Amino acid sequence: MTTILKADKLRVEYRSREMRQAAKVALAGLDLEVHAGEVFGFLGPNGAGKTTTMNVLLGFVPPTSGSASLFGIDVRQPIARQRIGYLPELTYYYKFLTAEELLRFYAKIFGIPRREADQRIDQLMKLVELEHARKRPIRSYSKGMQQRVGLAQALINNPDLLVLDEPTSGLDPLGRMKVREIIQRLKQEGKTVFFSSHELGEVETVCDRVAIIHQGELKVVGRVDEIKKAHHANLEQAFLEIIGFQTQPAP
Amino acid sequence: MKNIFAVAGVVIKELYRRKDFYVLFIVTILICLVMASVNIFNDDKIVRYLKEICLLLVWISSLVIAITTTARQIPAERENRTLLPLLAKPLTRMQLVLGKFFGCWIVCGLTLLCFYIFFGLLAGSREHQWPALDYFQAAMLHWFMLGMVVAMTLLGSLVFAAPSSNSTICFVVVGGILLVGRHLDQVALTLPEPARGITQVIYFSIPHLEIFDTRDLIIHNWPLIPWKFWGLALLYALAYSSVFLAGACLAFRRKAVN
Amino acid sequence: MNSARTYGLLLIACLTLSFGLAANLQPQFVAWRGSRADGDVFKILLGDSRKLFANEFFTKADAYYHSGFYPTIFDNNEAFKTAHMAEDTGAVGSKNHGEEEQFMGPPRDWIEAFSRNFLPDRHTHLDEGGPAADLSQSGSVREILPWLKLSTDLDPQNVQNYTVTAYWLRERMHKPDEANQVLLEGLRANPGSCDILFELGRLYEEGYHDTNRAVNVWLAAAKNWQPVKGDDDTVAANNFIYEKITMQLGEAEYDAGHWQAAIGWFEKAKTVSRTPEVLQERIAAMKQKIWGPAFEPPLFIP
Repeated sequence: MTTILKADKLRVEYRSREMRQAAKVALAGLDLEVHAGEVFGFLGPNGAGKTTTMNVLLGFVPPTSGSASLFGIDVRQPIARQRIGYLPELTYYYKFLTAEELLRFYAKIFGIPRREADQRIDQLMKLVELEHARKRPIRSYSKGMQQRVGLAQALINNPDLLVLDEPTSGLDPLGRMKVREIIQRLKQEGKTVFFSSHELGEVETVCDRVAIIHQGELKVVGRVDEIKKAHHANLEQAFLEIIGFQTQPAP
Repeated sequence: MKNIFAVAGVVIKELYRRKDFYVLFIVTILICLVMASVNIFNDDKIVRYLKEICLLLVWISSLVIAITTTARQIPAERENRTLLPLLAKPLTRMQLVLGKFFGCWIVCGLTLLCFYIFFGLLAGSREHQWPALDYFQAAMLHWFMLGMVVAMTLLGSLVFAAPSSNSTICFVVVGGILLVGRHLDQVALTLPEPARGITQVIYFSIPHLEIFDTRDLIIHNWPLIPWKFWGLALLYALAYSSVFLAGACLAFRRKAVN
Repeated sequence: MNSARTYGLLLIACLTLSFGLAANLQPQFVAWRGSRADGDVFKILLGDSRKLFANEFFTKADAYYHSGFYPTIFDNNEAFKTAHMAEDTGAVGSKNHGEEEQFMGPPRDWIEAFSRNFLPDRHTHLDEGGPAADLSQSGSVREILPWLKLSTDLDPQNVQNYTVTAYWLRERMHKPDEANQVLLEGLRANPGSCDILFELGRLYEEGYHDTNRAVNVWLAAAKNWQPVKGDDDTVAANNFIYEKITMQLGEAEYDAGHWQAAIGWFEKAKTVSRTPEVLQERIAAMKQKIWGPAFEPPLFIP
């Protein structure tokens, strides 16, 4: 199987501004591989290192040691991001632009020819159901509409790898269903999806494999059903057990 | 280059969708028209005071637009978190900085075009002459000067904490250079050491923006500046802008994006 | 409802009280020495600092007279102590000395040498055609008028504003009526000013060709003149205008054939002149012309 995303002994330390305090270790030697065509869930409690991992993969933060690559290209090279789409957790875009202008801007950065970009924009506007609002400035959009614009911009370059950071955060049940449908459709098209989420129910439904990270360390990686079987519990209970949370016995 | 101009295009769109330029332009027009309507000894050929007032307003407005537009570019991207989806594209940080620079510089150029057209019409309505080459020389010098200011402000936006402090510092520095930059070496001679040495170092290291202020030549209808000196001044401006931009690229490389 | 009505009535009561109090105190306010109620807008906005602005605009007018080629506070301005636009009127004594072309001195470094290519670089006067040296453009001196007008408005007590403005209006703009208006305005602000009366006389003489009226005004100026004590510059300026007045009266009397009166005026001029020997020669020549070398009648003192 082709490895699309690889992290090799990835370590990230943040130096503290206080003189006497030691550096904070956000990632402690993370080894991770995501194969082509799979939907990979990246789970962990708050502060586990999920966002830091994504920041390294996207080139926002340089690793202290170790390496990471996308499609075999080091993540520090801008070309590594040519075939990926990224949806951040908090979606903010240029408020003075319309959705159409925003997508056209990103299409230019990807070097998509004008005609092809127009076609992609039309398709994406239909997909995320923003055709009626495509010429309105983004400042007039609701939170849900902004999230959908975010999804559209993540798909503008027809990416082979989609990196989603909490994609259903802040969405109503209908919105979440739409996102799940899009993820499943991408999978059917052979795309790879790498996403982090707290919604374990969703993860169970869509993911092929998951990794659970806690305090910067990878605790477990594998298929969902294998993890459930190993811990004789549903995914939520298995997750809590893996991160070391003791559940209270029922009264 | 396409990435740079894509980023620049967004900056230009931002200009004409914000009110800053329109407000300043309309205020300039109103003040100039009021000044033009003043009856001075029943003589309607008096024009130089009007040219001076108009050019002063053009300079002030252009500096306000240049500094305030540039100062908020990268901080606003970070604050609004638009930087993350942008840098997640195949766009380097250097391309982003250069794109912001060209966007703000082109914005200044478009602003100057509008202002100088108005100035030309205003002056021409009284003088009945349109020295287009003189205006072209002055406008280009002005534009390239703003290029230095934009590059300096961009560097400042990556060094200073807040856009407001960056703007204030840039206004003070630019105003200081325009008013006394030419005379710092004279001032240095009157000071004891080590102040003299420090002042001389400052004199030789600051970008001499006052060279590009050719308002007196335009107002009083002096002949054209020799083209070779004009060209050298533009090169001087490009050199300083490059230095500031290099500093900005280096500063941004080390900056956290969130 | 009740509370809204109460607030409404309270508001009306307060307004009534305020207006009543204001009306009652109005006469006292007007009589108050520090009151600015009758001051002009510049006095109200700027106070005494308006004189600083007035000086600044007067200098600005002179800078315009030189088409921008003018020293800053950092340059050698010995040749610009007296504004050239005032000096050229012939009614102001000059305190200038030194080189007017080289006030910047030689360039101190390559930056300054380079920057001089972007500045006005020659000493010119607008009434001589400015940088183009085109005498047909001598009317360009009109460009100094807005700054002079502003300076006048800010400092009505500076008589030079009026005299310089009126001179150029008359001499180059050929607008004697406007010049007359300016001088009369100056006299209202500075009653009996010798400088203004002198310039008014010149206006009547050269602008309206009314010598009789001019002589009357100059006589009034001569009558109003008083010697002053103080620094050398003040005394010199005061004496200079008296010399000018008496010289003009002398010339007018000479032209009218009243030679004895003319000699009398020149003698008065000689008492305050910085070059009395020149005047003495002139007087001697006139006496010789009138009476010949032998006859010398008693001196006529007007």
